[in-house]
Amino acid sequence: MLEIIKPGLETSIQDFPGRIGYWNQGFPPSGPMDSWSFRLANLLVGNDAGAAGLEAQFMGPTLKFQNDGVIACTGANMAPKLDGEEIPLWESVAVTAGQTLVMGPALKGARGYLAVAGGIDAPEWLGSASTFHKASVGGLDGNAIQAGQVLPVNDGAGQAGRRVKDACRPEFAKDKKWQIEAVAGPNDDWIDDAGHAQFLATEWKLEARSDRTGYRLDGPDWTFTEKATDKPPENGEFPSNIIDQGYPMGGINLCGQKPIILVNDGPSMGGFIVPYTVPSAAFWKLAQIKPNEFLCFSRVSVEEAQALRIALDDLCTENSIE
Amino acid sequence: MIFDEPNFLPGGDRYITVEFGSEMNLELNFMAQGLAGALDASGTKGMVETAPCFATLLVHYEPRDISYDDMVTELKSLIASLGSADEIEMDSRLFTFETLYLDPWTKECIDDYREKLNPDKEYDPDFVARLNGLEDCHQLVRVHSGSEYWVASLGFWPGLPFLQPLDPRAMITCPKYNPPRTWTPQGTVGMGGSASAIYPVATPGGYQLFGRTPVPIWDTTKRFDVFQGDIVLFQPGDRIKFQPVTREVYDEAERKIEDGSYIYNIIEYQKFSVRNYKEWIGKLDTSERF
Repeated sequence: MLEIIKPGLETSIQDFPGRIGYWNQGFPPSGPMDSWSFRLANLLVGNDAGAAGLEAQFMGPTLKFQNDGVIACTGANMAPKLDGEEIPLWESVAVTAGQTLVMGPALKGARGYLAVAGGIDAPEWLGSASTFHKASVGGLDGNAIQAGQVLPVNDGAGQAGRRVKDACRPEFAKDKKWQIEAVAGPNDDWIDDAGHAQFLATEWKLEARSDRTGYRLDGPDWTFTEKATDKPPENGEFPSNIIDQGYPMGGINLCGQKPIILVNDGPSMGGFIVPYTVPSAAFWKLAQIKPNEFLCFSRVSVEEAQALRIALDDLCTENSIE
Repeated sequence: MIFDEPNFLPGGDRYITVEFGSEMNLELNFMAQGLAGALDASGTKGMVETAPCFATLLVHYEPRDISYDDMVTELKSLIASLGSADEIEMDSRLFTFETLYLDPWTKECIDDYREKLNPDKEYDPDFVARLNGLEDCHQLVRVHSGSEYWVASLGFWPGLPFLQPLDPRAMITCPKYNPPRTWTPQGTVGMGGSASAIYPVATPGGYQLFGRTPVPIWDTTKRFDVFQGDIVLFQPGDRIKFQPVTREVYDEAERKIEDGSYIYNIIEYQKFSVRNYKEWIGKLDTSERF
């Protein structure tokens, strides 16, 4: 059992891959935004890669262990301290009943993960324990964790001292500029050549009003092809309006002139074009970008994006642990 | 327009958008839902899920199990085997909802919007009636409640249905709020563009409002059997009928919902046949209104 002393900033229970199969009813998958770090945390403590754990954002929680166990912290460096003593990230660590873990502000990256051997025992809502804050679905009670709550933990047999090989850890941007892959489509033919060139040349600043629903990007205006300006009225009045369509997760959704990357808790459909889509293998980077840092997009093909996904899945296995 | 051959558009590493046309036309949604059903039934390896919208079907697949090109080939073959849209037949449940049109709660919401955001906003039912050449808001109620509605898609909020009237005599259109509202009562019935919707919970929104149903379409507490195994009521391809009721009937339904004795009115034995539907609308004089 994990007692929540301080919840941090909207720290939530997530599992991987999340709530899959309900997109046609408007349910997003939710789940950890940086599934690379999340899956490795679980593997470190002997869990299935997808077991329920905690995602902390920008400011980590303070927790008290009510039982002996094994934990692992990965993702953003929140300088975790066990009874005041710093513990390593990317390593499994033994804890004893009564010890307190303090995760602080994210020093590097934005989202930190905590896995507990056995996994958090949260009820499944539509096949997943993942928290979808906006609709109060998932987690213990549909919301982020709160002070005073006690999170049940399944029995587990973790082993301390296991670590993720250095080469198998995500490498965070050092100069606040993140290279993000993007695949053209589904609506890339609504943007003209100048618009595409500008998209790929711009350093887009991540706005503070970004969350697990969408990542708002600050940058120049877009320019369009005739498809956007000469179209039937049911498409809507703005060049970026289109007849409502299903959105791919990772879609860079052009709301008027404002690009918003639709992430784990994002909407399933809407009436704006999606000229580019961020592939799944780049989501861990989105998770670790802080507001006011920059995104630089590089265009990759569908096949390249798929190869990246398969390579990432292969990294999230026992082979990455020593 | 309806495309002769649908477009296949990639969405990153694991989505394909199948675009059947570029207009608001129920036939395109029938094609999207027909393909979704065929893809489900096909057991195609690597198919994760689908989401139909008005003119498109979004397909989510697992690239480890199937390549983009192979998925497009599979989709093309399924579309070919479906034949024309006329051949499509789908199971379609019919839900009937007690609805209080021109209700006091949406009026309060509109008044609040006028006070805080736009004093010139015309009362929504009058506005929609005027834009569509109807006599008054009472004819709007007759026209809007005169048709069954087709659940073309769900989104914006989980379980929020985007509805198209199946009876062309009930087709009306109106713009959305600008700027949008900060709140809308749960159960509100309204419309924007040519789509109607029911708000599952209280949320911001942009539709013109003119009615309210007390019947929950979203339930995390699972108090009613219809929510067993799910949190939301609808699937694409369901149909909805808004039954105009008096305040007394509304209040009685609400009381039964509160004490758990409410019985959902759902008909589950029907199939929706695109051919039969098109034959029927072919016979209608669509210049007439209810």
